[in-house]
Amino acid sequence: MNFTFHRKRITGVLVVVPENERSFSEDMKNFNFPEARSLKLKEVMGFDKRRVVEPGVCVSDLAVFGLEQLFNRGLLHRDEIDALILVTQTPDHFVPATSSIVQGRLHLKPDMLCLDISQACAGFVVGLMQTFMLLEQESIKKVVLINADVLSRKASPKDRNIYPLIGDAAAITVVERDSEDSVIHASLKMDGARGHALTIPAGGLRMPATLETAILEDVGDNNLRAKDHLFMDGAAIFNFVQTEVPPLIEGLLATAGVSKDAVDYFLCHQPNRFMLQKLADKMKVPHAKMPNNVVERFGNNSGVSIPTVITYDLGDRLLREKLQVCLAGFGAGLTWCAMLVSLGKLDFNLITEYK
Amino acid sequence: MDKIIFYEQLAKILDLEEVKPENVLIDFEAWDSLSVLSVLAMADAKYGASIKAEEIRSVVTAADLADLVASKQK
Repeated sequence: MNFTFHRKRITGVLVVVPENERSFSEDMKNFNFPEARSLKLKEVMGFDKRRVVEPGVCVSDLAVFGLEQLFNRGLLHRDEIDALILVTQTPDHFVPATSSIVQGRLHLKPDMLCLDISQACAGFVVGLMQTFMLLEQESIKKVVLINADVLSRKASPKDRNIYPLIGDAAAITVVERDSEDSVIHASLKMDGARGHALTIPAGGLRMPATLETAILEDVGDNNLRAKDHLFMDGAAIFNFVQTEVPPLIEGLLATAGVSKDAVDYFLCHQPNRFMLQKLADKMKVPHAKMPNNVVERFGNNSGVSIPTVITYDLGDRLLREKLQVCLAGFGAGLTWCAMLVSLGKLDFNLITEYK
Repeated sequence: MDKIIFYEQLAKILDLEEVKPENVLIDFEAWDSLSVLSVLAMADAKYGASIKAEEIRSVVTAADLADLVASKQK
């Protein structure tokens, strides 16, 4: 379905990555896997370095750290936050919402809205849509969108399909009303019937976490995984992205009346370099217009991947100029969505390290 | 579809000199998840064939794989 938003703009992005860096080559030594194939994986998929939290670090820790940095640097004032949207699939607790935990830890004013959204790799676009809708309210002038996940804590260290590629991170995006008469187009689709391709089977109420769900099981190809761990059917997800994402983006551009050439960058979720190159090929977009280098520096960091591309690849440039960008997120749900937005003249666009 | 060219493309994915139609895919050391993804991408890019991962996993020989791609070719 299509969405249109008027007079809204992103005014700043801060990405928080854990200080702790792991190396793909080192991690792969723990697997019974030919070294030549590991090298090939590294070369084709772009797996290299990734950032993961130390044991015990939660989503609210990364979020509070990032917001405090913004307060301390004078880039955001705690009293001006009218709504806090937190998008995660790895919340601190079932109850209360992690957005409320963040509000409490930072002593934010009670006169505000805190809301959690359960989304993963599509979470940046879905979260932005929610911020735009809230800004229709007169009482809401500034919304903080937090995307954060610590999925490394849910990855089996014995599962080669997941463990060596997952990264943890948080992003803080400030969204406000635009004084110019701007229009943002978005398009979104969901298919819960295919949701089993990306799931954590145990830990909710359908299958509570027990000693049994923590037992590592042989899932083939020398991989071991427990029901407490994240499962991803990589090939099914690849198919899903190649099949569903190009027509979604093409439909969005057609609705907006914008040609592919008029888009400066396609800033997509970053599962791996291979998938993004194939996506660009399928859409007949030059590889240089669709950055694919986040996974090699930070790992696949779920809903933080698009803010990571924005800060890591376009950094200072977006402080000075405005670019026409197409954002695209796709993943758990299944959910796939895209947004055409004029991005730039930001107040800040930074990456910081969580210590 | 020219099957000789298909086997060459398959050999390239598997880092081999050549692949014969009767070769069993799981006997190749390089037949892993990366190769499956590479075949999906190759079938899509070169033949416009959209194949599901489970369909690839159910084929046995290189010839079966060629037949599968040919049957899905647009």
